[in-house]
Parts: sequence; structure tokens; C-alpha cells
Amino acid sequence: MYRNKYRLIIPFLFPSVLLYVVFVMYPYLRAMYISFTRWRGLTPNPEFVGLENFARMLQDELFWNALQHNVIYLLTLPIVTISLGLFLAFLLTQGVRFAKFYRVTFFFPQVMSVVAIGVLWSFVYHPTMGILNSLLMLVGVQEPPVWLGNPDTALGAVGAVVVWQSVGFYMVLFIAGMESIPNTFYEAAVIDGATRWHLFWHITLPLLWDTVRTALVFLAIGAVDMFAIVQTMTEGGPSRATDVLATYLYETAFLGSKFGYATAIAVSMFLMVLTLSVVLMRVTARESLEY
Amino acid sequence: MKSTKPLSRRTFLKGSALLSAGMALAACGPSAAPQAPAAEGGAQAPAPAPATTPDLPFEVAPEAINPLGLEPGKPVEGVFFEGGYGRAYIDHAADIFRALHPENEMSVAGIQRVGEQLRPRFIAGNPPDVIDNSGAGNLDTAALVAEGQLADLAPLMNAPALDTPGKTFAETLFPGSQADGVYDGKQLVLNIAYTVYGIWNSSTLLEEKGWEYPTTWSGMLDLCETIKSAGMNPWTYQGKYPSYMVFGVLVPLIYKIGGLQAIIDIDNLEDGAWEKDEVVQAVTLMAELARNDYIMPGTEGLTHTEAQAEWLKGNAVFLPCGTWLENEMRDLTPEGFNMVVHPVPTVEGGKGSFEAIYASSGESYFVPSQAKNVVGGMEFLRCLLSKESAKFFAQNVSSIMPVIGGTEGIEVSSGMRSALDAVEAAGDEIFNYRFGTWYRDLSNEVRDRTGDLLTNRITPEEFIESVQKKADEVKADPDIKKYTRTS
Repeated sequence: MYRNKYRLIIPFLFPSVLLYVVFVMYPYLRAMYISFTRWRGLTPNPEFVGLENFARMLQDELFWNALQHNVIYLLTLPIVTISLGLFLAFLLTQGVRFAKFYRVTFFFPQVMSVVAIGVLWSFVYHPTMGILNSLLMLVGVQEPPVWLGNPDTALGAVGAVVVWQSVGFYMVLFIAGMESIPNTFYEAAVIDGATRWHLFWHITLPLLWDTVRTALVFLAIGAVDMFAIVQTMTEGGPSRATDVLATYLYETAFLGSKFGYATAIAVSMFLMVLTLSVVLMRVTARESLEY
Repeated sequence: MKSTKPLSRRTFLKGSALLSAGMALAACGPSAAPQAPAAEGGAQAPAPAPATTPDLPFEVAPEAINPLGLEPGKPVEGVFFEGGYGRAYIDHAADIFRALHPENEMSVAGIQRVGEQLRPRFIAGNPPDVIDNSGAGNLDTAALVAEGQLADLAPLMNAPALDTPGKTFAETLFPGSQADGVYDGKQLVLNIAYTVYGIWNSSTLLEEKGWEYPTTWSGMLDLCETIKSAGMNPWTYQGKYPSYMVFGVLVPLIYKIGGLQAIIDIDNLEDGAWEKDEVVQAVTLMAELARNDYIMPGTEGLTHTEAQAEWLKGNAVFLPCGTWLENEMRDLTPEGFNMVVHPVPTVEGGKGSFEAIYASSGESYFVPSQAKNVVGGMEFLRCLLSKESAKFFAQNVSSIMPVIGGTEGIEVSSGMRSALDAVEAAGDEIFNYRFGTWYRDLSNEVRDRTGDLLTNRITPEEFIESVQKKADEVKADPDIKKYTRTS
């Protein structure tokens, strides 16, 4: 029987393994190699330079500047998004009127393309015609901030858009999780005199933990990327105040013709994402509760 | 931990997406067999001139029909950036080419983001025969030069011009207009649009208010004060792209104060070039615009077209730009606006005159050295920079090709008229700067710090300090190829 099983599995598995090797594994290994070269990306022959690119990265202020912004996003975006998502999900499962309508509305940004969102929000933040500053002036703010033109506000302004875009998705995810928690738990707790806060803290959150940590890992990976939204809204400006690793990588490769160095940045990003995911999964691991 | 597996795969894929850009290119590899170097002009005897004159609106002398020796039947592939100038002028030049060489197929492809699209073809050793490498995301010319990817255009420069009898191709171009395309003594790039840079305003508005364009910078600051007290904003600029203020105001001010030598020193990365008094003074004078609130509030959050639209609406009086402005904003320009360009005002005791203006050639075309039909690519450029084609360019996109006689007998728009007048008035005081194309890192630093300076986030001293530091870094970086200029 076993032999038959493998005879069946191998032909089925082979094409996908082959595709994986050709389109995932090979580019990865090739990238590792290119990160050890000096290459302008115009000829087929990169020049091998060993660890030079990585050494250069350690001394590159622009690299650290970009990384710093990724770290800020990493420390804030997942927490804000998950908190808001949980809050909204909890509200909408408490028998609010028009809950379905809110669900669709909050989820809506998720189905839009990131580029469209970037352009849309650039208009919202527009210093003179934008809806945000128009509102602020309406309520009496004399000189509202130039959101995307000021290094002090640009990073936060872009981050807010990311939260706006993703919070609906996680809300729906959490609602699905909450709805699968048996009602009897809540009933029993209410009889024991628990408040809504207690219900959330002692029943909902523990039983939702697996979903929350999945969300955390996804959001953390997203915070290390951020390319599309930053590129469409600010191109890393003003004065590199919103530059993230991905936009710096893009600039280095495609505008600066330093493909070897850019690939070294890409490899370091890959290692960061990998480490981050493993650490997050380890740190947040708890025993699954069964019900 | 049951969810670990799919997650780590997702991580993997995510990283792969980031890396794949570079990798997709690497995977192309040197697939094409090395090609025999394309025949240089003159390697083959020029084909005998056909008995009939080609179907063209001008006469072509027999020796000017095929001076480069284009092989009959060999197709020519052109890939061109299609931007502010559109593609009609390229098609027009291709039609001239087709009429001249009916046996050679000439293809025209208009694209954006030239770098992303053509880089893989360079890596594969299969680039097109002629390229317009302009617009956002273009190929890094300095890198192409360093890799020996560009053909020497000497045969073209020495060939007879298409429709100016008795002159070589080089002799029909504005003197000095192609200096930017010379690398290590070789003409590798041709710039086909002659751009004049300066400060723009509506002549109608200035006349209406009785304001006169100032000839000195202190006069400019006085006028700004007048404009401000009239309840208007004196200046705006392309806020998200502060480089417009670099080429529009900063570099010209450095010239007006320190003369050409100050700019040459900066371009040549001379030690302390940015710390010289002339440069510090120029930076300080530019910063006066921000310090006195002469810049329209909110400017720093605007894109180039948004800022230009505000300016057209009359929300600001002055705007820095190049001559493409007129064509770019054509649809939004109000009737009777009469946009005109002026040189940057001079400074008392400065070395440059008021008339001195920054002009250079942009929209760079080149022929890859590995192209299948190098001669064909050059022959297309000979058609493109002909008098006939220059007239078409002037009439249809209101811009100037650096071809002598290219605006003969045509009616020109207000902006173009003012640019031509400005160039004439400048005489030999037409200057340019090179660090923008030679050293991208330095150029980016100057751009970013200019943005900071114009929003009062840094002082002129901090500007000088950090730009000089970057210039020193570029000078010390062995990876960056260095260039020098003497004039």
C-alpha cells in the first residue's frame, strides 16, 4: 500500500516542487549571490566583492534612517490596528444596530488597491484643497499642518492610512473568531456577575488568542514592507522622513544603479522578516484552549 | 504551533516578492550569443545615391541621403520615452526616416519608466537601436557609460546634415548644446530638447499691477514685500520636488554671485566648494524667501502639477521651472495669462550679469553599443535633429530643439518667445551644472536640504554643513565614477 501511495504522490507533487525551486528557491539563492557582488544591473556579469555591501550598509546613514522608520511602524501599527480591530469587533458582536452595514463599510478599504488608496489619501491630505485641512479650518484651526510636506507629520500620516486600510480586515477576522465562541461561556459569566470588560478580558481575548497572534505576525511583516503606500504617497520624502527599507532599496537599485548593494538590503530585509516571524510565533505561543 | 508552517511559507513568499525584482533580471542571463560588433559608419561603402529624390518636403543633397552607410533591409528599432512632449514629434521624425530609407523598417515604441523596461534587455545584450532615455525612472546614464554600453556618435557628428547643405550634423547644432553628452571626450548622448530655466510669471498680471520684474535679488525681495502687502503670495514651487528650486534659483544664484568657476568647483568636487562665501551667500539669499514668508503656505505638500496649477490660478506670482512648463500646463492655462520666463536676478557685486541664464539640453537620446543596428540608430538621430523636425517640434510642443534655424518662419508662443529672447540676451553667459547627473547622491542631498531650508527647518549654515559633508563622502566613495569639467 505504501509503495502505491508514493507512486501517486510523487507525480502530483513534482510539478509544484519544480515550480517552487525554479521560481522561489533559485531567485533566492541567486539574490544571496548578487548581494556579495558589485553590480550596476546593466551587464550579465556581477563582480564578486564578498561582504563589502554588508559592511557598507552598517555605515550607511540612509539605511539606518529607513530602518528606523520600519521599526517605528513595527512598534505601532500592529498594536494600533489590532486594538482597534478588537474594539470594533467586540462592539459589533454586542448586538449593535446595522452591524452588517458597519462590517461592510469597515471592510471596504481592504478591497481597494493600495495605490488607489495612496492617491486618494494624498488628496485628503492636500494642504489647501484636501478634506482634512478644510475640516480643520472649518473648526477654527488657522494654519493646519501640511501633513505630507512636513517631516514631523508625514510618517504618522502615512501610518494612519495603513491602519485605516487594514483595520476592517482584522475586525472581520476577529468577528469570525468571536462568533465561534460558545454563548454558554458568556451566559455563565454573566450569571456570576461579570461586566462587559470582564467578558472581553477573561473569555473573548483568551479564546481568540490564536487569531490575534496570526494578525500580529501578518501586521509585523507588513510593517517591514510598506513599499507601495510610501512610494505612492511620499516617495520617502520629505527629506527622507518616510523612507523605509523597501523604498530605499528601490531607489538604490533602479535609480542609483547599485544592484549589488540594493540586493544586500533586500537580503537583510528577508532575514529580518524571517527572524521577526519566528520570534513572534515563539513569544506569543500559548496552549490552545479547547471548547 | 500548528499554524507555523503556512506562515513561514508566507514569510518566504513575501520576501521573495521583494527580492524578485532584481532576480527576475538576473535570471535572464546572457542568453543571446555574443553578437559581432555592429558595423561602424564607414566600415561599409555608402550605398550609391538613388536616382529619384526621396518623397520629402525639402531637398536632400545626394551625399546627405545615406552618409552613414545604412544597410538596406535592416530594420531599426526605436524605444522612446513618451512624456510631456508626446510622441507626435518622434513619429514625424520616423516618417522622415521612412521616406529617406523606404527599404528599412523603422519601428517606434513609446513607453514610460524606461529603466525598468529596458534594463533586462541591456543585461541580455539585446537593447533596441535608439532610445529616448528620459522621464522618471530612466536608466542611469553615468552607469551605462561606465559599463561601455553607449556607442560613440562620432560618425554621426561628422556626417553631412540632412537638410542644411554643406554642413556636418554637428555644425547644425547650437554651439555647446551637446556638451552634457560628452563623456571622456566622446559624444555618447544627444540631448534633443533645449531647455531654458528661470523664474516664470504672468506678464499680464505684472503689467496689470504695475510691477516690474526686478534685475537684482534685493529688488526681488522688495517686490515680494509689495506683493505680500497686496494680499498675494509672492512665490510657490513644486513642493514635493524641491529640486525645482535647486536648478531654478539656487544654482543660478551661485552663478550670479560666484561666476562659472564656483559651479565648476562644485561639479569637480573641489574641497570646500560649498563652504565658499559666494555659495553661502547664495544659499542665504534663497532662504530669505522662506524666512520672510514669501512662499505660499502649503507649498511643501504639493506635487509639481498641483503647485503649477495654483500658480496659474493666481495664488502665487513667481514659480521656478524649465521651458516644458508651457506645454505641460497647456490645458489649465487661462486665456491671456501670457506666461514668460526671466533669468534669476543678479546680486550687487556678483560676477554674473542679470541676463546670464541657465540653459541646457534635456531629453537624452543614445544608441547602445550592443544594438543590432547601430548605424540605423544614428541615422534616426540625424532625421530627428533635422531642421524640418525641429520646426515640427517648435510648432507642436512649444519647445526648442538645439538646431540652428529650427524656429525660422514659425509663430511661437509667449513662453517660448521669452525663452528665445532670454537666450539671445544672455549671449555667451549661458551656464549649466553637472553634479545633478554626475553624482546622484549629492544631488539628492542638495534637493532634500533645499526642501528643509525653504520650510525653515534648517539654517543656511546647517545646509552648507550637510551638503559639504555629502560632497566629501561622494568624493571619497571609490564606487562612484568621477568626472571633471573645465568650462
